[in-house]
Amino acid sequence: MYLDRRILTNFDWRMAGITLILIAVGILTIWSGNLGSSSSYRQALYIRQILWGALGLCGLVAAAFVNYRLLARFAYPIFGLLLGLLLVVEVTGAVGFGAQRWIRVGFLTVQPSEFMKLALIIFLARYFEDRKEHLGKPRLMATPAMVALVPIFFVLRQPDLGTAALLGLLTLSMLFLVGLRLKHLLFLVFAGAALTPLLWSMLKGYQQQRIWAFLFPSLDPLGAGYHVMQSKIAVGSGELLGKGLKAASQSQLNFLPASHTDFIFAVLAEQWGFVGCLVILLLCYFLITRGLEIASEAKDVFGALMAFGIMAMVMLQLLVNAGMVLGIMPVVGVPFPLLSYGGSSLLVVCLGVGLVINVRIRRFVY
Amino acid sequence: MSRPWQSPTPLIQQKIRWTVLLVTVVFALLLLRLWYLQVLEGRYYATLSASNRLRIRSVEAPRGFILDRSGEVIVENRPSFDVYVIPAAVPDLDEAAHAIGTVLGQAPEEIVAKIRGGRAHPYRPVLLAQELNERTMVVIEERKMDLPGVSLRVRPLRSYVDGGIAAHLVGYVSEVNQEQLHLEAYRDFRPGDTVGQAGVERRLDSFVRGIDGWEEVETDAQGRVVRLMDRLEPQSGFSLVLTLDKKLQMAAEKAFAGKRGSVVALNPQTGEILVWVSRPAYDPNRFAKQLSREAWEELVNDPTHPLQNRPMQAQYPPGSVFKLVVMAAALEAGAVTPETVFNCPGYFRLGRTTFDDWKEGGHGQQDLMQAITNSCNVYFYQAALKAGIDAIVLVAREFGLGQKTGIGFGDEAKGLIPSPSWKQEVLGERWYLGDTVITGIGQGMILVTPLQMVTLVAAIANGGTVYRPWVVERVESWGGEVVAAYGPEPVRKVNLRPRVLELVRQGMLRVVEEGTGRVARIRGVRVAGKTGTAQVVKKEAHGPGKTEDHAWFVAFAPYENPEIAIAVIAENAGKGGSAAGPVARAVLEAAFSPLLEKGTVAQGPSPESQ
Repeated sequence: MYLDRRILTNFDWRMAGITLILIAVGILTIWSGNLGSSSSYRQALYIRQILWGALGLCGLVAAAFVNYRLLARFAYPIFGLLLGLLLVVEVTGAVGFGAQRWIRVGFLTVQPSEFMKLALIIFLARYFEDRKEHLGKPRLMATPAMVALVPIFFVLRQPDLGTAALLGLLTLSMLFLVGLRLKHLLFLVFAGAALTPLLWSMLKGYQQQRIWAFLFPSLDPLGAGYHVMQSKIAVGSGELLGKGLKAASQSQLNFLPASHTDFIFAVLAEQWGFVGCLVILLLCYFLITRGLEIASEAKDVFGALMAFGIMAMVMLQLLVNAGMVLGIMPVVGVPFPLLSYGGSSLLVVCLGVGLVINVRIRRFVY
Repeated sequence: MSRPWQSPTPLIQQKIRWTVLLVTVVFALLLLRLWYLQVLEGRYYATLSASNRLRIRSVEAPRGFILDRSGEVIVENRPSFDVYVIPAAVPDLDEAAHAIGTVLGQAPEEIVAKIRGGRAHPYRPVLLAQELNERTMVVIEERKMDLPGVSLRVRPLRSYVDGGIAAHLVGYVSEVNQEQLHLEAYRDFRPGDTVGQAGVERRLDSFVRGIDGWEEVETDAQGRVVRLMDRLEPQSGFSLVLTLDKKLQMAAEKAFAGKRGSVVALNPQTGEILVWVSRPAYDPNRFAKQLSREAWEELVNDPTHPLQNRPMQAQYPPGSVFKLVVMAAALEAGAVTPETVFNCPGYFRLGRTTFDDWKEGGHGQQDLMQAITNSCNVYFYQAALKAGIDAIVLVAREFGLGQKTGIGFGDEAKGLIPSPSWKQEVLGERWYLGDTVITGIGQGMILVTPLQMVTLVAAIANGGTVYRPWVVERVESWGGEVVAAYGPEPVRKVNLRPRVLELVRQGMLRVVEEGTGRVARIRGVRVAGKTGTAQVVKKEAHGPGKTEDHAWFVAFAPYENPEIAIAVIAENAGKGGSAAGPVARAVLEAAFSPLLEKGTVAQGPSPESQ
């Protein structure tokens, strides 16, 4: 490995900058959103997030400079390692909020399912690069799709409906890139519909309730539909210009549950209004389209697929999270990229952005 | 710039172009949704957000005090520490009910029922318990975190001293009920508001109530008050100064203890009510708190009718007290003079019917004064016949019998003075002379209320003016400023010659000094009065213990310059002199003892009654 001058000149300062801004906005929102909280734990959340942000930025830089071809080489072992970690969670994972999602690493708790997203992307990228002559052929799809179902199964068991759905969608979008046809997709949709009763029975009671609540929020305004309603109130009451940092009562007075994680976008919307949301969404839009541009300009299939997968991951998380906050999608626990509180999620997106930058840096390197 | 790199595959590039388009569309949709929520519907959600967070709760105004004529407290307020729950803030009904029930010592089911009852207005606090003791309050404060939606508030609670003096006159307050809320008169009330439900509390509710204030509080999602944003102080209600005399009232209540019936006294010169006893009574304090449905039904269905405001709602035959009316009518009509003498052999025959005297063997030769003193029935049978029913009815009505007195609160009974035309109309029967005979001693179908009786006595005492009885002297603000004042209201001057009333008064004086009313004599004050026994008809039908006659006693004093007129009726208590007389005497004693040096009572001889 050598340090080429072009590595520095091709480093994508725009992507890194946008990432930094989003992390900072997230920390600011976590801080201000918990101003009204009487819990010292919640008041100190932003400090933890600063640490995670710093770690994330380090991860970003590291991921940008280590040659991504190394990842291609170790894609399968990494995937296997993460699958193993998911198994560890299954067996010993720390229980939080009724779900087993975390394992302890020293003083940190990490959520292997978050890192599984990256591992799955790398795995699929490597799998298709190995078969790039056959791209577009349907028979290429079956094996990776089956493999992807394994981590999805484990994550569902945790249970983490949001991440499981995300892994599924992520797989689908990468299959789309390598030639999944509409008719295949339709087949999958039908298959999914056929499997719905089975999947439904796998869900826990509260998850079923959430989906019902999404479909019919007025049924139980004080129960499961409460989150959706309170979130819409928070977002809507922000109006054009927002209430400002300190006057956002909806989130500060605990009307909004999990305001620092799943509903952080609602807090932001309440504080900064439509204008603030517009700015944040435009930043995300630039980040994603820039990443896609890099994917299309990648020098190899692995790089292109990896960059695309990472951007698909960011986009899907954003869509599911914002859709939930805005009351157009079921409430499933998916963090907003870079903004939501949570170390694993932040770190994974930072690493992902770093890898995308890496792909850009190395498009000239032979 | 040329392309120095090898594109992976055209397929991937093409798909990425599609993806960029898709991403653009998705972002556009998200922004559209945001625009809709925040700009188009923003006002609506801002309102929702504010009502989420800001709760307006009313601050109940303390009701004005109710005082007696000399400023003694009859009704006041005391702070009550109440516990409420906001149904919307209860996450798990059963769990909450269990936790709250443990603290309050109530059954969880009861609490579940209360919270469920408030479901229609999930943000309106539901009252769970009142008048918590200090210990319970401390426990609730300590466990506040485990009791979401539960809050404590201090509220003024109506307090009736001594378990309610003159309870039926003063009335009581309770939560405005569902039927009332539908009425136009109650359109300013909201569920949970307190309103006067009877007596003066109801009649003058708009004065006593005051004006509720409100406070705007910021609450968190658990309904806990975070801070007070704004507050409008309530304005206390005006105080009522009654004409009631607490000292006399207490004396009357004490003397009447254990009896059923009424004691009413008023100032004959003005019509001011001084005493108002109705027994059995209820404790109005029970209404001020939340009365359970069972307790309410028990009160309503009590066979002794504790809710009945007997002085103005109960109707009785007047018995011999009515002889005062017959006497006046006979004198005015010229049917008798003080010199007219009838023989009383103990019975009176009219055709084939015999009417008995109450005294076996009769009173012998009686002139008018002797007849009233001894309450001789035979004399008044004949006096009534000679005067004629029309004359008697006319005089009775002059005195206000058979009509409402117009005291102005509650449903007042009219009573009944039967006349030939009334009998024809209502019963379809002609009037017999025998009807006139029994009217002469206050029997038959005549019905009067104790309030009418005392009004009658007052009019006799004061020389013939019928005053409308009244009970509120003035309305005062907390600063002592008089908001409204009331005064005597003469209804009419009785159309009788002064000489006639003079003779009736003399007769009443003799009743007490040497006749059936000797029990009411007190030393140093000349008392005039009349006993009466109202026959309870169909004795067996009333069941055991209710077969005794009602005992009447009416009086006024002092004879020369009457300051107080009183009517006592003790239900099923037997003869008037013995059962009702001592009560009247006790009140008169209380009224005049401060004026008299020793205040000792002239012990009446063993009562002979009637």
